[in-house]
Amino acid sequence: MTHMHIPDGVLPVWLWVTGFIVMALSLGLSLYRVRAMDRKKKIPLLGALAAVMLVAMSIPILPPAYHINLSVTTGILLGPALGFAAAFIANVMLALMGHGGITVVGLNTILLGSEAVLGHSLFFLFKKIRPLFWRAAMATVLTLFITTVLLIGIVAATNLEPGHFFYHHEDHGQSVEARVSVSTFAVMVLSLGALGWLIEAAITGAVVKFIAQVKPDLLRHALHGAGGSVPKTGEKR
Amino acid sequence: MIDVARIDYWAASGSGPLHRASVLSKVVFLMLAILSAIVAKSPYPLAAGYVVMILAAVAAGLPWLRMLALSLYAAVFPLLYGISLKGGTAVFAVLLLKALTAALAMLTLIVSTPYPRVFALLSSVLPEVLAAGLFMTYRTFFILLDMMHNFGAAIRLRGGFSPGSLYKNGSNISRGIGMLLVRAVERSSRLYAVMTVRGYNGSMAEPGADRPRREDWLPLALGAAVFALALAWKP
Repeated sequence: MTHMHIPDGVLPVWLWVTGFIVMALSLGLSLYRVRAMDRKKKIPLLGALAAVMLVAMSIPILPPAYHINLSVTTGILLGPALGFAAAFIANVMLALMGHGGITVVGLNTILLGSEAVLGHSLFFLFKKIRPLFWRAAMATVLTLFITTVLLIGIVAATNLEPGHFFYHHEDHGQSVEARVSVSTFAVMVLSLGALGWLIEAAITGAVVKFIAQVKPDLLRHALHGAGGSVPKTGEKR
Repeated sequence: MIDVARIDYWAASGSGPLHRASVLSKVVFLMLAILSAIVAKSPYPLAAGYVVMILAAVAAGLPWLRMLALSLYAAVFPLLYGISLKGGTAVFAVLLLKALTAALAMLTLIVSTPYPRVFALLSSVLPEVLAAGLFMTYRTFFILLDMMHNFGAAIRLRGGFSPGSLYKNGSNISRGIGMLLVRAVERSSRLYAVMTVRGYNGSMAEPGADRPRREDWLPLALGAAVFALALAWKP
């Protein structure tokens, strides 16, 4: 749920340029990690999961612009490296659809990619939690909380140089300057977000449970290494 | 969210001067418009640039009214963000117009350029996995949108949605998404296998397809005009 629908020209240049640099480094590392994987396997998986993320994002859940992302599901199914690449693809597609700016692709990939990486890590960290629904749901709530805090941190960072990207003028002798009220923004995002985390957690839990029942090999492919982390046939789901 | 299928139809079916211009020239236009949004510190040049782009869309036969409406989607986050700003109406206007100008420029690109042509240009700078991933996502996305639509109709006809029953609705939606995911992986794997058999070797670009064209003057002049307005108009 935590990606920014911020259009171009709003964030300070240093912030989105840093976002692109961090994204490029993370993406480079991700692609390096999956370099040995068969192309026939990784490209269809990447395309399919990024497309599912986009379809999920097209389903409005709460006004004004809340939708689920399925980024944690993507991380769980694709692993951290390909999950990050899927986040990049989803964000480029979103920008090309006019949903968020080109300049925020870097920051959005970091946010959405972090959800995939964290979601995957927490899901496998919670391997003792049964049933599978709660394991995925807990990983989702914790992941979304952490990335929402990261989002607030990014908005707080824009407060450092507001005069560089907003209009200054003299209004009746008083200088008017834009300052971001981080606390107002944090209260809005956290209060709206909390409900969203629960919805996304419920959907992620149910989707992962469904996949474990219908096509368990999607949860057990080579990207995940440890074979014992997903319930075997007959184990409680 | 966004009517992607309709945007794709406009991009593929149009034949105006902007449709005939090369992708590179339209990407340069987009970059200039984004640059204008970045450097502008007053709402007036941005408003003027917005009007110039609408006039160009009218002249090029693009669906300008729909584009205007779609560009307003970009106003949602600035509205929320603007509430948390303490800068008055002037700052609010700059924020809103920065968003609208960049969004309209992006819309001008995507309603006049089919996505595969944009991907072909991107594939010259992106690693193969990402370029091929973008194309696979694009193909799978439209198939999934159809499947999701059919799934919604089927579940409604069978009484799967009941007002007030959050648990039942949530459970059905989740199963639908789960099924969609499984089908997406299967379809995508099949599509990739077919593409490989037909000679796909990692590149989507058609050699020479994006050479400079006579119509390139329009996006280039438009981008230059919007950027010049932002530079020249001092607050």
